[in-house]
Amino acid sequence: MTAADDSVLALVASGAIDASDEEILRRLDALVNAYDPMPDGLVERIGIALTVEALQAEVARLHLVGDLASSVRADEASIEADTITFTTDVLTVMISVHHDAGRARVDGWAAPAGRLTVELHQFGDVQVTQSDEDGRFSFEDVERGPARLVLRRPSDPTVPIVTPQVEL
Amino acid sequence: MMSDEVSPAEVEDEGLAHQAANAVAAYRGGDREPLARLVRSVTPLLWRTVRAQGADNEQAQDVVQNVWLTLVRDIESIRDPHATLQWLLVTARRAAWRTVRRSRDDQIRTEQDDQITEWLVAPSDEAPDVQVARDERDQALWRHVGALPERCRQLLSLVAMVDRPDYAVVSRTLGMPVGSIGPTRGRCLAKLRLALAADPTWSLQ
Repeated sequence: MTAADDSVLALVASGAIDASDEEILRRLDALVNAYDPMPDGLVERIGIALTVEALQAEVARLHLVGDLASSVRADEASIEADTITFTTDVLTVMISVHHDAGRARVDGWAAPAGRLTVELHQFGDVQVTQSDEDGRFSFEDVERGPARLVLRRPSDPTVPIVTPQVEL
Repeated sequence: MMSDEVSPAEVEDEGLAHQAANAVAAYRGGDREPLARLVRSVTPLLWRTVRAQGADNEQAQDVVQNVWLTLVRDIESIRDPHATLQWLLVTARRAAWRTVRRSRDDQIRTEQDDQITEWLVAPSDEAPDVQVARDERDQALWRHVGALPERCRQLLSLVAMVDRPDYAVVSRTLGMPVGSIGPTRGRCLAKLRLALAADPTWSLQ
């Protein structure tokens, strides 16, 4: 390419996009689409994958209401009840933790009220209980330390609701 | 009297980058609908981005879907929602590149798949399948696009999909920034314009 050609190119390149450019791009888009169309149903399949992902993320991440650091006392000697509330679209769970002699007792309540299977996961171990008709449940004589609750609804047993890890 | 209402045309003028920023903000706030609409708007662009890297049809579908899943999984960690469109394009490009490199290593690509995106990823001496062209002007255009450097073909095929507000984002993603004041043609489109102007099949109609 000569210097003259190059300066012409530079000039045209610095020009604003006009109607002719728009026509070129419009035609090019149609040509590429005809040549290599996006597969039918791809957008729909992605939509489904995202919905599944969102549902799983929703149950996996119960939102903590309030500040965990302040609601769970760092004070080891405390035996006062600390209350933590988690909520998702489908369930709200409130737990209170009582400490006594290095052990913990967890009392919980889930709403809407109803019978649930409640699992307490701790150190790779699982304790299981059922909530009563009012959604109340409790775990006694629990080791202190990090723990996680998994709640299963009879209506949807394969989609558990998992709380973040809490320090008992 | 001036109306405070924003017309549909003005909303459209905001472009995909703006739509993407809004969708991310809405998703974080619990509203997934705007993101579903964004998937509809941007997936064709991602498709072409990934195909331009040489991913075959099946690979491309997986890559595009994974880009969206990654966005949703990492949505809380996006610092600037306004960079979402660029993030999508860059992520798609890199993922496609990795996939293609891996499959080239495995030599599992088929002849048929190679041909599909050849015009985008390989130098071509002659116009590819011109049956897609509706008329002589399209044929001329296809021929001249095919004669452009690979990067120009990729850039123009992507820029052709978006409206003006998004030209800059798409160009920047491919490492070919356009003017900062307003969308200028850039060298690729300028080359094409000049080639077409010199071609009577295009210019005399």
